[in-house]
Amino acid sequence: MEWGPVILTLQLAAVTTAILFVLAIPLAYWLSQTRSRIKPFAEALVSMPLVLPPTVLGFYMLLAFSPNNAFGEWLDDRFGIRLVFSFSGLVLASVLYSLPFMVHPIQSGLSALPQALSEAAYVLGKSRRTTLFRVLLPNIRPAMLTGIVLTFAHTIGEFGVVLMIGGNIPGKTRVASIAVYDEVEALRYMAAHGYSLVLLGISFGTLLIVYLVNGGYLKRFSP
Amino acid sequence: MNSFSGHITGIRTHDALALVTVRVDPHTFEAIVIDDPETSAYLRTNSPVQVQFKETEVIITTAKAPVVSLRNRIEGHISAIEKGRLLSRLTIQTAIGNLVSIISTDAAVELGLEKNSPVTAMVKLNEIILAP
Amino acid sequence: MIDIRIRKNLQSAQGRMDLHLDMSLAAGQFVTLFGASGAGKTSTLRMLCGLMTPDAGHITTTQKTWFDHRRHINLPPQQRNIGYVSQDYALFPNMTVRKNLEFALDKKQSGTIVDELIDIVELGELQYRKPGMLSGGQQQRVALARALVRKPDLLLLDEPLSALDREMREKLQQYILDVHRKYQLTTLLISHDVGEIMKLSDRLYEIQDGRIVREGTPADIFGLGKSSARFRFTGEVTGVQKADIVYIVTLRIGHDQVKIIADPSEAADLQPGDKVAVASKAFNPVIRKI
Repeated sequence: MEWGPVILTLQLAAVTTAILFVLAIPLAYWLSQTRSRIKPFAEALVSMPLVLPPTVLGFYMLLAFSPNNAFGEWLDDRFGIRLVFSFSGLVLASVLYSLPFMVHPIQSGLSALPQALSEAAYVLGKSRRTTLFRVLLPNIRPAMLTGIVLTFAHTIGEFGVVLMIGGNIPGKTRVASIAVYDEVEALRYMAAHGYSLVLLGISFGTLLIVYLVNGGYLKRFSP
Repeated sequence: MNSFSGHITGIRTHDALALVTVRVDPHTFEAIVIDDPETSAYLRTNSPVQVQFKETEVIITTAKAPVVSLRNRIEGHISAIEKGRLLSRLTIQTAIGNLVSIISTDAAVELGLEKNSPVTAMVKLNEIILAP
Repeated sequence: MIDIRIRKNLQSAQGRMDLHLDMSLAAGQFVTLFGASGAGKTSTLRMLCGLMTPDAGHITTTQKTWFDHRRHINLPPQQRNIGYVSQDYALFPNMTVRKNLEFALDKKQSGTIVDELIDIVELGELQYRKPGMLSGGQQQRVALARALVRKPDLLLLDEPLSALDREMREKLQQYILDVHRKYQLTTLLISHDVGEIMKLSDRLYEIQDGRIVREGTPADIFGLGKSSARFRFTGEVTGVQKADIVYIVTLRIGHDQVKIIADPSEAADLQPGDKVAVASKAFNPVIRKI
């Protein structure tokens, strides 16, 4: 067993979680506030990764970003970005794939806050932005923690989408979950045990933190 | 509460008190109040005013001109009498309309009050409430 | 001076209701909206705040037009400079008492007002606590103080004292009266409590099914106001009991139970829960030092 895939896994999970946290706040805020007709469509899209086989997502991303394809070629020519079989590709795939795990808890948290809180802030002359950052978000810390940990843990557990878009390039896209598969294929059970135990430990540890901190709060959002 | 409409015919003030005479034709009431024309707009000669007093404050006599200190005296005769064990309720028909008095049943018996008995109802001037 | 003329179709538990109000609040006045629940009182306050949009009409202050349906003006709550104390207080749970007040400060505003208000409502010892640690009466004081930080043109109080016990109520009524006078506020209060209204208000609007049915001074509306009876109170009937040929009416006035003899003609339309005014001449009560 090598530590490379484990470190890569943790890097991927950390980057994905950070990006998603920034993206999910405005998205969850919009979903919790809007009365727009497109809200159900937006919610369905956000929740898609919960039910879609990861390979489907991976497959379409592979098609879209492949340099043989118009879009992928344009990305490559214009910006020099190759998303297929690269770490950035993995990050993008993970962000899409873990989107509901960050958005749902934050959206639920925001929706559960009494409307009177934001109204009180508006009447006190505060903008929506100020109200969101100084009143709403500080009051949904447990929900935000839940989103962060679930996203982190879920990214660690990714397999299908990572395999499709990232391939299995050691040091670049070979994350721990794929390493387990590899080792088993090659009948190196001891190494597979190593990766598996590390993943098991990390997943249990992160979830345990949430339960300890939130006292059961997480249950409401676990799929 | 007994209530009659009249108008003010006279006001005598001293310190914070005012002694007000109110004409409720053909009677005249006197009332003493803690008000003066400066604080209470209604205290003006000729202002319309309600004279109000509680039934239990109405004293009844059958004497024609009793020598007592009571300033407000209204003559009439009993149009209805309802005798309870302790208290009796008299409705008295007077020149200013019906008024009600509640007195003890013992007193009603001693005075021999019956329907159509002529009586004089009396009220102390400090019991009269004036309301515009 | 605030001129209010609004129409709004409301969906309530009792069905549809057409709220149709026409009222004006003079600067510095303490005005009460009075009426059964569901009469449209809270909706009126929300429309004044800008949290609800009227269907038609206008709301204008001496300086600004807050709402004008025809001219398509509808200022957001942020631009109306209102102090609003809602029924549930809506204190920010993540902030201490002091931070709740400081949050309300305008960017350019000096923080001295926060100290001043904490002083007035006597929250000095509690200023570093979070709202969750406070009693109902304490929370209400924080909400009141927070609403005053921006020196609002109009203070709106939605039954702020209804959840409190009688003693706390009386204390808070005094705070409200004090700040109303000190900051020369124009205040609009929703209240059911006749005693509270008599104590605080200059003017009263009674609302029924979305319409103003009566307006005037509380004394005019609740009766006996102009009479010469100087010994007068408002209270609530707790019992009506026949005794011989009269009735004994039991009343709660403040903390006290009192009994009053009533003629059958007076007792006929009294029942427990009725608000009543009682009066007597100042000559009747006896007095003794205790």
